[in-house]
Amino acid sequence: MIINYLTLSIILFCLGILGVISRRNVFTVFMSIELMLNAANLAFITFARLHVSMDGHVLAMLVIAVAAAEAALALAVVILLHKHKGVLDTNIFSLLKG
Amino acid sequence: MEQTAHFYLGLIPLMPLIGAVLIGLMHVTTCRGHRFPDKLYAVLACIGPVLACIMAFQVFTILKTLPVEHRILVHKVFTWFSVGELNISMGFMADPLSSLMILFVTFIGSLIHIYSIGYMADDKTYAKFFGYMNLFLGSMLILVLGDGPVVMFVGWEGVGLCSYLLISYYNEDSSNVLAGNKAFIVNRIGDLGFVLGMAFLFWAIGAQGFDYISLKANAHLLPQATAMLVCLLLFVGATGKSAQIPLYVWLPDAMAGPTPVSALIHAATMVTAGVYMVARFSFLYVTVPDAGEIVAWIGILTALVSAIYGMFQDDIKKVLAYSTVSQLGYMFAGVGVAAYSAGIFHVFTHAFFKALLFLGAGSVIYAMHHEQNIWKMGGLKKKLPVTYLTMLVGALALSGCPPFSGFFSKDEILFSAFASGHKAIWAIGVLVAGMTAYYTFRMIFVVFHGEPHSKSSYDHAHEPPPVMTVPLVLLAIGALLAGFFNLPELFGGHQMVSSWLEPSVLDHHAHAEASTEWMVMGSSVLAFVIGFSIAYVKFAKGAQLPVFTGFAKFAYNKFYIDELYDMLFVQPYKSIGAIIWKDFDPNVTDGPRKAISWLYGAIGDAFRLVQTGYVRVYAIYMVIGLSLISLLISQTLN
Amino acid sequence: MFEHIISSMIFLPIIAGLILLLTPVTKNGARAMALVVSVAVLILGLKLYTGFIGAGGMEFVENYVWFPSLGINYTLGVDGISLFILMAGTVLFPSIFLIFTTKSKGYYANLLIAQGAMAGAVCAGDLMLFYIFWEVMLLPIFFMIGLFGGEGKIAATLKITLYTIAGSLLMLAAIFYLGVAFHNQFGIWSFNIVNMAALKLHGTVAVLAFVGFMLAFAIKIPLFPFHTWLPDAYTEGPAAATFVLSAIMAKIGVYAVIRFVIPIFGAEFTRYALIMAYLGVIGMMYCGFAAIAQKDFKRMLAFSSASHMGIIALGLFCMNIQALTGSLFQIVAHATSTGALFLFAGILEERMQTRKIADLGGIAGRAPVFAMFFAIAMLASVGLPGTSGFIGEFLIILGAIKYNVAIGVLAGTSLIIGVCYMLWMFQRVFFEKSNERTEKFRDLSAAEVLAFLPILVLIIVMGIYPQPFIKKIEPAARIQINTILHNMQVADANALLQGTNLEK
Repeated sequence: MIINYLTLSIILFCLGILGVISRRNVFTVFMSIELMLNAANLAFITFARLHVSMDGHVLAMLVIAVAAAEAALALAVVILLHKHKGVLDTNIFSLLKG
Repeated sequence: MEQTAHFYLGLIPLMPLIGAVLIGLMHVTTCRGHRFPDKLYAVLACIGPVLACIMAFQVFTILKTLPVEHRILVHKVFTWFSVGELNISMGFMADPLSSLMILFVTFIGSLIHIYSIGYMADDKTYAKFFGYMNLFLGSMLILVLGDGPVVMFVGWEGVGLCSYLLISYYNEDSSNVLAGNKAFIVNRIGDLGFVLGMAFLFWAIGAQGFDYISLKANAHLLPQATAMLVCLLLFVGATGKSAQIPLYVWLPDAMAGPTPVSALIHAATMVTAGVYMVARFSFLYVTVPDAGEIVAWIGILTALVSAIYGMFQDDIKKVLAYSTVSQLGYMFAGVGVAAYSAGIFHVFTHAFFKALLFLGAGSVIYAMHHEQNIWKMGGLKKKLPVTYLTMLVGALALSGCPPFSGFFSKDEILFSAFASGHKAIWAIGVLVAGMTAYYTFRMIFVVFHGEPHSKSSYDHAHEPPPVMTVPLVLLAIGALLAGFFNLPELFGGHQMVSSWLEPSVLDHHAHAEASTEWMVMGSSVLAFVIGFSIAYVKFAKGAQLPVFTGFAKFAYNKFYIDELYDMLFVQPYKSIGAIIWKDFDPNVTDGPRKAISWLYGAIGDAFRLVQTGYVRVYAIYMVIGLSLISLLISQTLN
Repeated sequence: MFEHIISSMIFLPIIAGLILLLTPVTKNGARAMALVVSVAVLILGLKLYTGFIGAGGMEFVENYVWFPSLGINYTLGVDGISLFILMAGTVLFPSIFLIFTTKSKGYYANLLIAQGAMAGAVCAGDLMLFYIFWEVMLLPIFFMIGLFGGEGKIAATLKITLYTIAGSLLMLAAIFYLGVAFHNQFGIWSFNIVNMAALKLHGTVAVLAFVGFMLAFAIKIPLFPFHTWLPDAYTEGPAAATFVLSAIMAKIGVYAVIRFVIPIFGAEFTRYALIMAYLGVIGMMYCGFAAIAQKDFKRMLAFSSASHMGIIALGLFCMNIQALTGSLFQIVAHATSTGALFLFAGILEERMQTRKIADLGGIAGRAPVFAMFFAIAMLASVGLPGTSGFIGEFLIILGAIKYNVAIGVLAGTSLIIGVCYMLWMFQRVFFEKSNERTEKFRDLSAAEVLAFLPILVLIIVMGIYPQPFIKKIEPAARIQINTILHNMQVADANALLQGTNLEK
């Protein structure tokens, strides 16, 4: 029973990873990261249920808070990026190329 | 009495040195502003040598009053340096040998200084010249008076330095400076021999004291092989300083300096140092006759070769320069066959007549407005009577005409060589005597006899002022009479010089029948007559500029020895330097460093490929890394 | 203040240098302050010199606990080995501030810091303290060459910094190893040099630690074939940096070999001395030959300096009292003569705006005082008797002959090699005809004469009356030689023992 929740969590997480790796639009990448965070949340809740403990809930709350803060910051960054180059393609932003 | 002598011993070298420092300081402080009058410098420069000469005479007379076996005065001024068993004092020693040397070194040195007052009169840096001259004389006195080899080495190098300074005195002309460089560098090659000789000598017997007295006392402890090595190394030093084969090449070039310098180098100081040193170390040389043999052969071959060069020169000073090299060869032949007193006696007489000849040549050059080519002179006899007569005395002495001084000293050497069984050396010596007579009178006839070759300079020629002629006359008297100091018993003399030197040098007295002695003497005189006659026939009636062909051309170009040395040593030295600097240093020595820095670069390049700059790619790396870590953890947990 | 005389000599200049860097001082004010501080250090140094007894041991010792848990102490002291290097630095520094005027205040600040750090490195009695000063010493040089250097300054700075850092990091590793080994053998932590001598080291690790130390010092000296940073750094660096590098810093490399390598790695030292001696003498000849090919007088002097350092290094490895004393004496002699030569070269470069020998000529006629001073320093550098250069060189050659005849004879050739390139350079720069450029050469001013006078007087005095100097050096050198001889006896005994074991 529990394993199904965990499988869903893993599938969501992998989808998130795939999104980060393969998509080039900054927004999509950002949404994929949110997806991964929520996958983690699901896993936390599941384990909390499994161990009958509140720790998992606390952490899930914390993750939601962090995700919210991150969303605020990331959106600002995205706007700046758009102002700077006019597009939101991650391939354009490759200043770290060696 | 002895106290005064000790006092003087330290002062003798100091006198000219103080003069040098004083003149140097005065010159340097005033060279930009108002100068002192030249006369002041002239007086200052002459005080030192003259005082040293007077003191040298005092020391000599004091030494004379002492009994023969006590004729040695040592004055240690201070400990120079002392490390472990090495203990060197700045000490001065007067014994018969050194007292005789300083006597004529200071006397002739003083005369040359006085002469220079006139000769250098128009020079712009008058003071500098006299400063160097005083330094030169001071160094020579340290060399002679030093009580051990290391102190001698101070003077030894000092005269080398001064010769450099004085030869390159007219330093605007690069050839003069090159001649100076050559003198210094060639001397340094010899000095290397001297230093190594000292080092070996020190490690063999120097621990008990490294001055002549202790060395002489311990000389018997020296193993034969080491003694041989030390003798030869010291002789290398002597060949450098005294211009013997193979290091004689600097001396003829040293003519680039002002003429009084040539006189000082050739007559009283510097070149005689080598002979003096061999005589000083006679206690070593007598223990290894083979070393003496080598010295004698090198000497007589140098005499021969330079006499050949001398016959073909056309510069008046070069003729004299080669005659000096040749006479030095005689001296080495003398000390080589263990006739040390004969060698030193020749140094003594040679100092007079060679100084005389050089100063005479200086007068001629002065009168001819710095013309040195003998083929542009001629007929100067009438214009320069004093110079002519005095130079004639010098020439007769040089070529060994009896009863001039050169005859006695040269004959003594040749006789010693003959009597000690070195017949070949004697034969070459007689041959060289004939050649000496030839080239000396070739010079005299071409310069003073015949018709003037250059009318204009002949008309302007005039006898130099008395400040120059008086030293000439004094030296001529010396050149005439110096030989009688050591009159052999054959002529009723007592060999005063030889018996005076007895305590200092371990002379090997060769005895022979009177008839042999007459025969040897007769052959020398015969050689002189033949040489003189040929010169008379060829040149006395006036001669034209010769054209050299064949062997004469070869000899005129000094057997191309300079070119050979240039090819063998100078050019390789330069090219090794260039190779090291251009190729070896950046590629081989610096190679490992370059390789390491290249390696860093290569590694960096490799890692650069991974850094694409795309966020997605970094995310992949992260995922792969995290996956691997997770895998690892799960493996370990299981 | 006199109780902490060494500390004052170290930290007075360092603090003054930092103050100069942090406060807005004009460059003339900076120069004045630097001069005052260096003269104050000189006075302290003279006080120390007169108070120095010279019995062979450490004097003016200061000892404070610093990191008790690791046994690291703040230990300072002076003996016959370090005294003259310390004094050379103190005596020579005021001259720099008198001579050079046209630089910014950072120039003076760096020089002051270098002076303090070098004094610290020379007097440190604790390995960690020594290491700190050793590294701090490099910093000012880095800035001096990098900021005030010539055209190729960046490459030169990189080269010297990387080279020396590479060497000293290996040394740091070796120091750590020594500390751990000491803890293992005696159960306490200590980095004191005197204690370290009691350490018994053997095996490959000991050799590696020896190499770590030797490499750091060989790079600093520099010993062939680690000299390649030197021509660039000396040539591109400003005159004062070159002066500090050649006159004092290189000598600290030599000093460190005597101070650390001989007592701590006695066995390894005796085993590898022959190789080191050959490196020294080869370096002398190699750099001497390279010097003749130079067209730049500063680079030529750089090679000349490296060549002489080869001879000095040789003296260390000959394992007899004459050579070692000669080496220590030559350190000072070379500091004065080469230091002076580099200062003259700096003046020449500053006034003529060129470093090419071919551009010059006839300066002797224009500036007799300058030419005479240069000639005196040059003659000392080629080892003419009567100047300071002779005594040391003679002693080293003498000792080398005893150690190994071949090395001795090769060392003797320095008499010839040195004189060749020096005379060649002197001829082209000072003799011959002057040209448009050299026509305008201004002779030394009175202040400059005053600045050079102590150096020249030292050159002459040390040549004519060296015994007072040698008297202070010799006892300390004797202690080192006795250590070496003891080591050799132990090694011989071990070999003998092994031989008998094999027979059984």
